[in-house]
Amino acid sequence: MLRRGTALALAVPSAAALLEACSSSSSSTPAGPSAGSLAGTAVMENYPDWMGAHVVQSFQKLHPGSVIKQVSNSSSSISGTVQQLKTGDFDFGLADVSATQQAVDIGIVQPLDWPKVPNIKYVGQSFRTAYPHGIPTDYGKIGIGYRPDLVGEKITSWHDVWRLAPKFSGKIVFIDLDRDCMGSTLKYLGYSGNSTVPSQLTACKNALIQIKPHLQAFLGVNYGQGLQDGSTVIAMDYDYDVALNQQKQPKIEWVYPSEGMVAYIEGWIAMKSSKVLPLVQSFMNFALEPKQYADFVNTTGTAYVEAAATPYVEKSISGSAILRPGNAIGKVEFEHFLGSATALWTQVWDEVKAA
Amino acid sequence: MQAATALRGRKADSGQTTGRRLGHLLLVPTALWTVAFFLIPLILITVFSFGTENLITFNVDFGWTVSNYAAFGSALYVSTLLRSLALSLGTTAACALLGFPLAFFISRQRPRAQRALLACVIVPFWTSFLVRTYSWVNLLQTDGPIDRLAFGITGHHLQILYSPASIAIGMTYSYLPLMVLPIYVALERINPDLYAAAADLGARPWRQFRRVVFPLARPGLIAGIIIVGVPAMGEYVIPEILGGGKTLMVGNIIVGQYLDVGDYPFGSALAVSLMVILLAMLFALRRVQPAVEPR
Repeated sequence: MLRRGTALALAVPSAAALLEACSSSSSSTPAGPSAGSLAGTAVMENYPDWMGAHVVQSFQKLHPGSVIKQVSNSSSSISGTVQQLKTGDFDFGLADVSATQQAVDIGIVQPLDWPKVPNIKYVGQSFRTAYPHGIPTDYGKIGIGYRPDLVGEKITSWHDVWRLAPKFSGKIVFIDLDRDCMGSTLKYLGYSGNSTVPSQLTACKNALIQIKPHLQAFLGVNYGQGLQDGSTVIAMDYDYDVALNQQKQPKIEWVYPSEGMVAYIEGWIAMKSSKVLPLVQSFMNFALEPKQYADFVNTTGTAYVEAAATPYVEKSISGSAILRPGNAIGKVEFEHFLGSATALWTQVWDEVKAA
Repeated sequence: MQAATALRGRKADSGQTTGRRLGHLLLVPTALWTVAFFLIPLILITVFSFGTENLITFNVDFGWTVSNYAAFGSALYVSTLLRSLALSLGTTAACALLGFPLAFFISRQRPRAQRALLACVIVPFWTSFLVRTYSWVNLLQTDGPIDRLAFGITGHHLQILYSPASIAIGMTYSYLPLMVLPIYVALERINPDLYAAAADLGARPWRQFRRVVFPLARPGLIAGIIIVGVPAMGEYVIPEILGGGKTLMVGNIIVGQYLDVGDYPFGSALAVSLMVILLAMLFALRRVQPAVEPR
């Protein structure tokens, strides 16, 4: 499963025009170690193209002899990420908070020497709290995208989605990822989006089985694309996806459900096996510099965690109430590592799919 | 004279032995490949299937437990297995029903036309599998070409996308050439004189087909059934794309256990169980085959 596959496919073309503008602003002097003092190769586990278009190049130019080599992982599944990081082939990697916690539990994560990463100060405190073992880079809220002109009334909650499902049967899509879909359903039921209580997970299963006949599909890509032409009227969707579709169809609206919402948060963690930790920390610090971070946001189109980067972020992103860091973060429950309950979640999810 | 003959005989024997040795040597690359990439992985999967895993550390304990196999008996997995079985049997039947007439038609054409028609069957499959499968989303979606045609005829939308029917359509489309080609090969080998002989003996076309063509093409048909049925049973990409995540097949569960949960022992047990079921079905097919061979 990829949370980003579609985002990149859609976001990269729209952001391409900005890359040139960004490149001129991304060669600023970073904080941290002095230029030219680092050499060596740091290998990073990452999504394909999940990096500012000029960040690596600028860093390597600033530090001759340093090489940041990215190796792409085609999956954002927790176990897939952790197992890759566990190989010892990487110096640092991209991981969501669940994968990070599991990696910490296994003992493969190197705690960062924070004075060497002073630019962490630019990251909002709520994100730093939610992602304590590395540098947070991006997050994604799971909310509701819908077409008010076609629904005919205002949607404000997950309850509205379940209530309206029979009326709009076949025109509703949900996300095909257990953490996000079941987490949102648990919020609808008033539980924690990270619940491991069997009775609550059973209630979650029943709620999903109840709405399933009215769903057009559980989609793994192009979640809200149908909102553009009205073939979908309500979508459980990621913030970035709704923002992208909104650019093409202004009638689409985003809802922060009143019951709350779950969100994933991702970042970079350093590996204990790394022999180039100073290089890794220096690169992390460089990437957090607001202009460099803006390059990442403009390239990927993600919701961002550094308010200080806003002046350098493309207007279509920074001007979007959906994507910029704001007060809505208070309604968000970040997804945690489920531990051994992962298997139970998977079984419940399979039971929903099989029903 | 006798000595010369014996010498020639020994030389001939020696030549045959060398030839046999060379023949055996030619088998080495294939044997190595099979051992390295089929036999060893198969043994590993079987060994893993009797182990247990700590899902936090991913450390596997090879305690030789059968608990993974016991879990396969739960209602979730049995119903999913039956659904997979039904969809793969349906797909195989649809491929046979569509593939046999097509292969028969191609085999009765002139050689040049045969080549052109075979190219028509094969060439679309040079395109990426994913592109072809996703193209069915566009074809089957509401207000897509097929839906518009149906609406024009019946006045009702089909609403077929993201249903088991759309999975069956996608699988039939994807596996059809695998059915057509072995049947075509079997049909193409039939001596045309047999048709004339059957006609001379008074057999009408349907009787010719039933008593001559079909029995002789049966090995190709059975090969096609095996080639289509086995991968169809474990299919997981097409259900994911065309099923809209609403139809779970056993292949999806196995992939989930490997990639999402990381539970290799349980995933391996599911894979081994599926393999055993398929082997049982293949043996059953083998036992049926001689019984229906023409006398």
